[in-house]
Amino acid sequence: MSRASRARILRTLVGCTLLLAVAGTSACRPANNRASMASVYTPARETVGEAVNDFFGIRPRVTQPFPFPHSTHVAKKVACTDYCHESVTKGPVAGLPSVKTCMICHESIATDRPLIQQITDLSKRGVDLSWQRVYGYSAQAHVRFNHAPHLRAKVECSTCHGRIDQQTVAERNVDMKMGYCVDCHKAKGASNECLTCHF
Amino acid sequence: MAHRWGMAVDLDRCTGCEACVTACRAENNIPTVGPDQAAAGRAMHWIRVERYWEGDFPDARLTFRPVLCQQCDAAPCEPVCPTYASHHTEEGLNAQVYNRCIGTRYCANACPYNVRFFNFFNPQWDRPLQLQLNPDVSVREVGVMEKCTFCVQRINAAEIQATADEKPQKDGDLKTACAQSCPATALVFGDLNDPESAVSRLSRSPRGSQLLGDLGTQPKITYLARQSQT
Amino acid sequence: MDRRIFLKVTAVTGTSATLASCGNPEHAIIRFIPEEEHVPGVAEWKPSLCPLCQAGCGVIVRVMEGDAEVVRNGQAGVMRMGLAKKLEGNPAHPISQGKLCGRGQAAIQIAYHPDRITQPLKRTGPRGQGQFQPVTWDAAIAELVAQLDGLVTSNNQRGLAFLKGGGRGQRDDLVSQFLDRFGAPPAVSFDLFNYDVLRRANLLSFGREQLPTFDLARSGYVVSFGADFLGTWNSPVAQHAGYGQMRQGRRGVRGAFVQVEPRMSQTGANADEWVPARPGTEGVLALGLAHVLLSARLRPADAAGRAGALIDGWNAGLTGYTPADVEKQTGVAAARIERMARALVEQPPGVAMIGGAPLAQTNGLFAALAVNALNALLGNVGQPGGVSFMPQIPATVTPRRSSPPERRTLQAVTAAILAADPSPVQVLLVDSTNPVFASPSGWRTREALLKVPFIASFGSFIDETSVLSDLILPDHAFLESWVEGRPESGAAVPVATLAPPALRPLHQTRATPDVLLQVASRLNKPLDFPWQTFDEMLMAAFATLPAPSADTDAWTAAQQQGGWWGAADAAGQTRPGGPAAQAEPAGRTTQAGGTNQGGRPDAAPVRALEAQFDGEPAAYPFHFLPYASHAFLDGSLAHLPWLQELPDAMTTAMWSSWAEINPQTASKLGIAEGDVLEITSTQGSLRTPALLSPGIAPDVIAMPVGQGHETFTRYASGRGQNPIKILASAAEPETGALAWAATRVRVTRIGPPNGDLILFAGEMREHPHEHEHER
Repeated sequence: MSRASRARILRTLVGCTLLLAVAGTSACRPANNRASMASVYTPARETVGEAVNDFFGIRPRVTQPFPFPHSTHVAKKVACTDYCHESVTKGPVAGLPSVKTCMICHESIATDRPLIQQITDLSKRGVDLSWQRVYGYSAQAHVRFNHAPHLRAKVECSTCHGRIDQQTVAERNVDMKMGYCVDCHKAKGASNECLTCHF
Repeated sequence: MAHRWGMAVDLDRCTGCEACVTACRAENNIPTVGPDQAAAGRAMHWIRVERYWEGDFPDARLTFRPVLCQQCDAAPCEPVCPTYASHHTEEGLNAQVYNRCIGTRYCANACPYNVRFFNFFNPQWDRPLQLQLNPDVSVREVGVMEKCTFCVQRINAAEIQATADEKPQKDGDLKTACAQSCPATALVFGDLNDPESAVSRLSRSPRGSQLLGDLGTQPKITYLARQSQT
Repeated sequence: MDRRIFLKVTAVTGTSATLASCGNPEHAIIRFIPEEEHVPGVAEWKPSLCPLCQAGCGVIVRVMEGDAEVVRNGQAGVMRMGLAKKLEGNPAHPISQGKLCGRGQAAIQIAYHPDRITQPLKRTGPRGQGQFQPVTWDAAIAELVAQLDGLVTSNNQRGLAFLKGGGRGQRDDLVSQFLDRFGAPPAVSFDLFNYDVLRRANLLSFGREQLPTFDLARSGYVVSFGADFLGTWNSPVAQHAGYGQMRQGRRGVRGAFVQVEPRMSQTGANADEWVPARPGTEGVLALGLAHVLLSARLRPADAAGRAGALIDGWNAGLTGYTPADVEKQTGVAAARIERMARALVEQPPGVAMIGGAPLAQTNGLFAALAVNALNALLGNVGQPGGVSFMPQIPATVTPRRSSPPERRTLQAVTAAILAADPSPVQVLLVDSTNPVFASPSGWRTREALLKVPFIASFGSFIDETSVLSDLILPDHAFLESWVEGRPESGAAVPVATLAPPALRPLHQTRATPDVLLQVASRLNKPLDFPWQTFDEMLMAAFATLPAPSADTDAWTAAQQQGGWWGAADAAGQTRPGGPAAQAEPAGRTTQAGGTNQGGRPDAAPVRALEAQFDGEPAAYPFHFLPYASHAFLDGSLAHLPWLQELPDAMTTAMWSSWAEINPQTASKLGIAEGDVLEITSTQGSLRTPALLSPGIAPDVIAMPVGQGHETFTRYASGRGQNPIKILASAAEPETGALAWAATRVRVTRIGPPNGDLILFAGEMREHPHEHEHER
């Protein structure tokens, strides 16, 4: 090994240690609520804290911008796939509704409620709600999940998302580690080839 | 019956136009590394067009050959991987699982075709160029090896579609990005387990041979030799 | 910590440590309500049109939903919108047939380019310094309107000039009509690699002022004189489709192909035979082939009809063009000429094509007429496997101008500006062309433009020309615009490509045709256009086309499928050369080619002209051959990082300029690969790395055009060298087209490799600098 490359390894090791020391103190913002005005896009985590959290599988709790009551809507017989997550049967992504979707019903329903008036106001100003993802994977998990085939295979929403119908804002009810997927795939005879999900 | 994906490359049709190179970059989120890293030999092209010069002026002759992962059945890259990131799938693909990869680069050293590329740095896109990125394909980070996947995202999507439609896949419906773009139809992708598929028929051509086939790697890509005027 | 070490550290931890952002309060980002709905994660394919060259390939755009940073009503925020993910050829389009070249696929980066102009700009600093400030659209349009009103007030409508690229379509018609109604002279179009000479030759020989279409799929023997038809010339995607068929698409028949050119191009590399004839003698070689056919009585002279009659000595059997005579001039062995000529008839259909450098000689028109005559003699015009002219859309789409167009070249305009005081051009509008980069120094284009009191430009990027502007009115990217085009070659049926915007605009830009219509309506004396917006103009034009079926009309159908095209003939043949594509056979056309269209009296036979070169052979011993870069064409694509990092097909060079030199010549001059050369013409000199290639004649130095930009985004600025700058201003006399292959140079070795030449092939070293260190 040349002297230059030995020096390089030494430098990186020192740098590594320093950064890890910093990392312990700096776990901060949730991953998906940043104003990403940086001039460059990269898969690197924006903060050391995020990297550390990802490494240990710690997911920061998300704060939703609006106290949407899932329970109320389900009780009123609005199915998950009716409007808000209708693309779940069509493709990979369930989708998060825009304020426009709220207004399909709330143009005329419960217009006297303060929360609905907030929504109506947003809609008039052309401003949308910044829903935070509750599930989803970190980029480094390299998972390409596709909802539609799971629905076709008659997997219930609640299998992976728990009893959201009993909750107000959605919470992460199921700890979706890889084992969770693999067990179900095994039980159902679905492929457990890595490339089924990781590509 | 399981599929066995393969490709035929007709060198008599290939003109070296490199439409495939850009198609692959667009489809598979392959970053540009910039001039400094390119000068250091770190440019990434899952498919490249090699050129072979023969003879001297005025009898110089040049042949182009698109080279991508040969998806070997006896792949030298697989047994050397300590984490099984590089492994063989049931359909015969040489898979590279990024989240298993720890960046030993043994696979790249073992590969005789030089088609594996290592992320020496985190890739970067000057905003808003990242808006082009294909959401169906991972963006790889620093420290992982990457290579041609035979557009596995397209393979998987076609499979899901076929199940949903309850119809078997038709030969020619599923194309890798390179084969789709090839304006002279030099690249033909398909199922080698279907003896009637275009790729199977071409692979049986007397002009066919495999790149470095004598190494025993058993590639699934057949090159059809360029003919000459006699 | 320098950048390199920093990167290495972050590389190990997988982290880009932006520690400063930690602890800040949550950034509040506004999220706008989506303007349209998409099914997330599911791709939708929308038609569009590749704008990069005149081939006019129809494309389809893969649109998927994603988050983009946008500005709406002056406020920045994030919005879910349809985003373009990939471009592919439109399978229904007769030209692209579902395929697309690498350049076309990279066009997607135009829309998302980080250096796009995002809003109107007004110059603040001195001209050319690139200091601009944002202004509102209202202010920008008002400023342009004031300038134009000023011309009207001083009764100087002819003081308006419009400089544009060589497009063909409603957008160009709109520009013509704008100028016509305003009272200004017609637009001046400028493209370095234009087709003026070839169009003129086709007008004279065949009565069609149009690019030819080749039915390669059915050709038996193709002789190409310098035409890079598998790379950058004419309609490369359509020609590729035919080429693949020609080689391996017919049972038992493999078409043969000979390329005549002194530097092997990517196209030439595919030829069965590469014939490095002397530059400027291509026309002589074509007539040499014709001579063999005539003297062996393989074809009668009058078979060539009018195209033959145009050549001096044709009916006398071209006596001065015996293989021995031609060998002396061209350097091609007489036996080879004999053999090629016989192959043209023995492996039918034989066809010849000419393009690129042979037409960029001072005798380019003669060469093109010679090749036309050869094709006519072979009897392949309008025949399967031969050359034909694509039927054009009925003229109703193109409203006729009130006066016949007068042609002005950029060279004539700059000369006029430089000669007079004050400048005859008072207001200059520039769209889709960059002549300051792409014209030879002798034209003094930059100096001339600096003399024009007011310049407004419409492009999406600040380049060497638009940096001189007083006002920039940035256009939408093509994916954000209504696009329309009428290609002139590449298919057997008439085609008008059309597509609505595939994406919503990302920035505060406006479609240039719409801006022109707005300006027209706001003038003190408005120009009475019947349309408010460009799509109204398009709708009016398409309303005149026949409906493809009973339950739809041409306009609606065209938007859905990406254009309108004539039906294939009964046999389902849509490839070039089908009966639908037959041009008037040569010799029977009498109406065209007259004085008012061709600018040249009928039937005066053309004598062989010897090509003239700038520079004495003693002082400048090499022919200098600039060529259209595989990646960048004339340099207009050098701003796209995908194309910068695309290895050149012949050399594998990326991010570089280079000069190709024959290895024997190099060894005589003591030049090794990568050495820095100085290339000097009578016009100036440049320094660039040497690349040794066996595919180039010993007396030729070749260099790709495209790099060497001073001002053209972060990816192209200050990178490589621009060979156009040392070209002489020689011209083909009939058309005034720049003879860009008519310059001679000398070459000197300056020093060892300086690292400017970046190759993809070769050693796969990981740390070249450290290896050097250890030595």
